[in-house]
Amino acid sequence: MVVSVSSELTWHGRGSTKPRAGALGLALSSLNLRYGPGMVHTGAPPLLQGLPTGVDALDRITGCQGLPRGRISRLTGGSASGAFDLGMALAAEVSRSAAVVIIDFSLSLDLGYIEAYRGELDSCWLVRPRKPEEGWAAARALAKAGAALCLLVAEDWHRLTPSAAPTALLTALSEGDCAALLLGGRLIPAALKERISLELECWRLDWALAHGDVCGLRMETQVIRSHWGAPGSSCRMQLHFPRAYQMQVGLEGLAETVPVEDSEAELLQAVGG
Amino acid sequence: MTDEHRKTHLACLTFPHLALVLALRAHPELSGEPVLVGGEGLGGRRVVLAASPAARAKGVIRGQDWRRAGVLCPLAARLEADLAAVAELRQQARLALASCSPLVEWGDDASAYVDLAGSDPVRPEEGARAAQCGRVLKEALGTTPSVGVGPSRFSAWVAAQLAAPGRVRLVPPGQTAEFLATWPVSRLPLPPETTERLMQFGLRTCGDCAAITMVDLQRQFGPDGILLHRLCRGLDTAWIDPWREPPPCGVRRVLAGGVEDSESLRFGAAELARGLAQELARQGRAAGRIRLILRGEDGSQPLASADEKVWWGEVAPPVPMATADELMGPLLSLFSRAYPQAPVGVVELEAFDLVAPPVSQVGLWQGRAANREVIQRAVNRLHDRFGLGLVWRVEVRPGHLGDVPEERLVWSSR
Repeated sequence: MVVSVSSELTWHGRGSTKPRAGALGLALSSLNLRYGPGMVHTGAPPLLQGLPTGVDALDRITGCQGLPRGRISRLTGGSASGAFDLGMALAAEVSRSAAVVIIDFSLSLDLGYIEAYRGELDSCWLVRPRKPEEGWAAARALAKAGAALCLLVAEDWHRLTPSAAPTALLTALSEGDCAALLLGGRLIPAALKERISLELECWRLDWALAHGDVCGLRMETQVIRSHWGAPGSSCRMQLHFPRAYQMQVGLEGLAETVPVEDSEAELLQAVGG
Repeated sequence: MTDEHRKTHLACLTFPHLALVLALRAHPELSGEPVLVGGEGLGGRRVVLAASPAARAKGVIRGQDWRRAGVLCPLAARLEADLAAVAELRQQARLALASCSPLVEWGDDASAYVDLAGSDPVRPEEGARAAQCGRVLKEALGTTPSVGVGPSRFSAWVAAQLAAPGRVRLVPPGQTAEFLATWPVSRLPLPPETTERLMQFGLRTCGDCAAITMVDLQRQFGPDGILLHRLCRGLDTAWIDPWREPPPCGVRRVLAGGVEDSESLRFGAAELARGLAQELARQGRAAGRIRLILRGEDGSQPLASADEKVWWGEVAPPVPMATADELMGPLLSLFSRAYPQAPVGVVELEAFDLVAPPVSQVGLWQGRAANREVIQRAVNRLHDRFGLGLVWRVEVRPGHLGDVPEERLVWSSR
């Protein structure tokens, strides 16, 4: 836990508005001595570094060049909105360069998604907890151990979230400089919701077709909560499904000015349709 | 207290006398033959220190006068005990048993008692722990012991007498009196005159005596009657007098004032881990197994359950630990299992199964190997805490193109 202390503290009731440097300094040094250096610092918190998603458009709208490290993010969306596929594609993207931990509370996740989106299974650890506490403990331990992305997948967050778990996870994420991404479930408990720093909502624009087959999904993602920028910014992406005839698999950013029809025409032309 | 209320058990291990073991090791051709091993008894008198089963069948017993034994078994081979070698072998056997439990009582060089209390995630059952004791003792002595497990010292000893070599005999929980019912009174630890009077009364087994009230037994036999009553009903409270050898590597911290709060105890885990890591670094070793021991403030108050003055637990992660960071996880898992019921005065952390520390050449690490190694250590700690099957690695099965994940992918939990 990092406590930020403003340098403009005012002291009332003692006849002076000047901070008592001696007493405050002593208290700060004793806190740093007790809990380690960096426990208390003055001024603004350090600049947050994001975990790149591999899609420039998506990195831009998050405000921190990707998924915020040391924080909890969330991907939401309705049925067939592409939120789940986007989450798996992001995990696959991160797995190509860093370690990914997937906490599968739903116990039904197919890790083949990672492989299908050309991620590296060798960099992935799948946790299937028998009890919710095991899953949260594993998330904390592996985040602290150095995983870059911790993907938490569940359907019913209310049942699975002990009240103290989000705070403890946040501490572990900060220690390990790990980004957490929540996936699945429409409603989440207040204890978890108030710890979320970035919330993205996805919805489907349309399906991409090739050879009479659904080969992808065009989607729009909007920031509905962010600690680093104003909500409302959005971007469009195309998710290329893994198909035998497709060269490109995974996420691709679409320019916001490009109409959907033109994009489809370009795609059909590219694949020879 | 009845044995139903007692949660912990003792293991009694019986084996041939160490002097006889060494004699037969030096003269294997005498195996199965009557052998007498002599030594110096009280007052400088020459007595029988150990006798082989064939010699005991002729009436020779330990401590018997050497000449008398020669008369009883004239064909026996007579050997001299090598007391220095016996002491060395005793030390080896003690250390072997101490690796199984911190509370070991070494008997008369022919038996040993081990407290099976504590927590061992690898062998949660007491029978398995007792069998492990038997295995390590067999490895140290080269001979197979008999093992008995019971809620009291006497019942464990009887179980060991009934067990065949290499076997573990367990006293059924809650049925100690029934288990002892057929045991002859002639083999009770009572004075010979008391045993003789019991025989005169027609009381030949423990079951016969258990049917008589304590008041009647006391009226006839005095204090021996009370002991007889307790032995026959499995109520004897004699516990072991543990022998203790300093561990090869460990740290010990005496707490200023008793600490009862387990949260406060966990707070000191980092300091303990650092201390043990320093000791391991000094020896240039890594620990394959660590043991946490909590002792009461004054040694009189029970710490874990009604009988246990000491709480201890062990953990053996898959990867040897050498640094404080590596020790912290297992150590915290041990602290999380401890719920002291009285103030803790002393905390000890010991390292066992010392091996050379794992070495990684940083310059030769490929890509993210270092990060993966750290994560894999964390996974190992999670497996140690929650069991296998929590964290999975997945690989694509070569040459298989099915759609079902269980068929397409290879799952492994290690």
